[in-house]
Amino acid sequence: MTDATPDQIDGAAAKGRLDRLRAGLKRRHAKEARFKWFGRLAIAAAMVFLAVLLVRIVEQGHTAFYTHTVTVPVYMDPARIDRAYPQGSNFEQLAAEQQLARWGIQDDAAGTASSQMKALFSSELKFVAADLVAKRSDVIGETVPLAVPLSDDADLYLKGEISQSTPQDQRRINDRQIAWLERMQAEGVVGSHFNTALFTNGDSTQPELAGVLGAVVGSALMLMVTALIAIPLGVGAAIWLEEFAPKNKLTDIIEVNINNLAAVPSIVYGLLGLALFINWMHLPRASPIVGGLVLALMALPTLVIATRSALKAVPPSIREAALAMGASKTQTVFSHVLPLAMPGVMTGAIISMAHALGETAPLLLIGMVSFVPGVPHAIDQPVGALPSLIYIWENASERAFHERTAAAIIVLLVFMIIMNAAAIILRRRFERRW
Amino acid sequence: MKFRIFRSAEDQTGSGPVDPTETPRMGGQLLPEATATSKAKATEEPRAYEASDLPGPTVVDSPPVGPIKIAARDVSVFYEGKQALYDVSLDIPDKTVTALIGPSGCGKSTFLRTMNRMNDTISGAKVTGRIAMDGEDINDRSIDPVLLRARVGMVFQRPNPFPKSIYENVAYGPKIHGLVSAKSEMDGVVESALKRAGLWDEVADRLQSSAMGLSGGQQQRLVIARAIAVNPEVILMDEPCSALDPIATARIEELIDELRERFCIVIVTHSMAQAARVSQRTAFFHMGRLVETGDTEDIFQNPRERRTLDYITGRFG
Repeated sequence: MTDATPDQIDGAAAKGRLDRLRAGLKRRHAKEARFKWFGRLAIAAAMVFLAVLLVRIVEQGHTAFYTHTVTVPVYMDPARIDRAYPQGSNFEQLAAEQQLARWGIQDDAAGTASSQMKALFSSELKFVAADLVAKRSDVIGETVPLAVPLSDDADLYLKGEISQSTPQDQRRINDRQIAWLERMQAEGVVGSHFNTALFTNGDSTQPELAGVLGAVVGSALMLMVTALIAIPLGVGAAIWLEEFAPKNKLTDIIEVNINNLAAVPSIVYGLLGLALFINWMHLPRASPIVGGLVLALMALPTLVIATRSALKAVPPSIREAALAMGASKTQTVFSHVLPLAMPGVMTGAIISMAHALGETAPLLLIGMVSFVPGVPHAIDQPVGALPSLIYIWENASERAFHERTAAAIIVLLVFMIIMNAAAIILRRRFERRW
Repeated sequence: MKFRIFRSAEDQTGSGPVDPTETPRMGGQLLPEATATSKAKATEEPRAYEASDLPGPTVVDSPPVGPIKIAARDVSVFYEGKQALYDVSLDIPDKTVTALIGPSGCGKSTFLRTMNRMNDTISGAKVTGRIAMDGEDINDRSIDPVLLRARVGMVFQRPNPFPKSIYENVAYGPKIHGLVSAKSEMDGVVESALKRAGLWDEVADRLQSSAMGLSGGQQQRLVIARAIAVNPEVILMDEPCSALDPIATARIEELIDELRERFCIVIVTHSMAQAARVSQRTAFFHMGRLVETGDTEDIFQNPRERRTLDYITGRFG
């Protein structure tokens, strides 16, 4: 320590070292800042895509949530209504002719005017009138106001989806019909209101009458079957594999295969379901039971993997504590390990269920793309499902189905949001028990 | 709290007595690490040893007085074929605290876990030899490990209360073993276990709140309460204070001293000061072998094995 030179050298070396540290520090901070910005960019890009998707869907679909109804007075002409079989009477023609007569418009021999007028009303008119006559035969000979939906094309025009500037031969509603529509509007018989039919009806070939209820119920039934089969089986299998199974070649092979199955394309599960449940077990085609079974097969690997990782995440000290207290293996697993893993298990279950809900490909193979009118109420009847309904509507030729496709997508998304919200609430409840 | 800091081995080699009051203290508690380092400065003067300096199966043993609770004979443990414990034979007397000491990886925890068959829960673990509790082989086919663990409680290194309420934690053992049926009776069991663990005054007004809200030391006492709620015969403690601060450690040591009157306690500890303070019997393990065992006073004052001396004077470990 008496010699000054080593101290000086030390001082210089220390300074050099500090400079190097400083330079390195700058680089490290820059790296961190860069990474943060990449992160922000990635999130921003994701948000932009999501926003574009949502805006596009809402923009396209929001018009499907309201619709127009016209109220026409119809004279129930006893000469043209069969009392014994009111369903056979041509109420649409009757209403159209009377409407033309009220306005003093002369029809030609081919009935062009009346058929054009008829095209403004939904075919629902026939059923509304027939129902009324069937219920109250005393209305025959009287004039009754009938409120019926406008036809899909008239509705689209009023929503501004069909523009008069389009050449007449390229639109489904001509100038004369537009003039009539506007006249009806001026008379105040056309009203716009919330499209309840969209939520209370099953599928229909008439867009103005088509609704998602059938598909929602179909999807719900199917999901119920899926949940009842996949969750107990998947969670049970995961618990056994993780907590009880001996670690040997066989369980290794099982584990590898479960991981592989999670990556099998869903259409393959559709083929399996077709061969196994429909061709071999002769379960009814396009029914929620078959759909649910296929989706359960598809959801199982995901569920097993998620549950196993949730169980793995439970600290071993809890198992040791319970075992050392003299709890049996089963008591340890079910009263200590599983409750702690429950939030993770729930998340896995919900993710796989949400995945199953949106799955379309396997449904195509088990016949769920067929047109199913009405609302199903049993698990062995043919049903539609939301994703296949979207597929069917998107392919439909009527323009009015396009906005309804977007509306069905919104319904599907809301369905998923409700499911996820339920899952989060359930998870909170489980977590609150420490 | 009794302090049993013995004159250590170096006293006899002429370095003078170690005054316990000179060692750093915290909260009236001797800091174990500080004690170890002060001993490390012991003289290097060799002395005559009675036993071999080489590692080997030689066990220097002075048998305990009083009834033997657990008698281990030639116990070896293998993990996936790798031997972790070599032919350990040790008598553990009842109503006594027996400390198992030794450097990390010496097999003391492994040996502890053979006594309630916790090694059964590790796949690939194999135990050979005979461990008799009250003359009965605990590895016998007729012995259910569940029943054994009701008789042999265990406290782990890190406090591991169940993520449930304080009450449920203590009530769990009596409940699963069906020892208590009525709710009022259970309340009494929980209260007395918590009282014996010295935790009652701190938690009496919040029995239904989460055990995870307690401090580390309180959690460890809760775990002890949980273990004694089933009235076991033996309590195994695997470094129960290593995750605790000195004050919490002092409370646990005090508690161990009180529990000694009712239970046979086996404690694994890294801290030689702690072994000296709480135990009456000490067993020193090294490299998977039991090296020396005897009354704690003898082990710390008169170790007969060179490795024991080296360890307790802090030359390794």
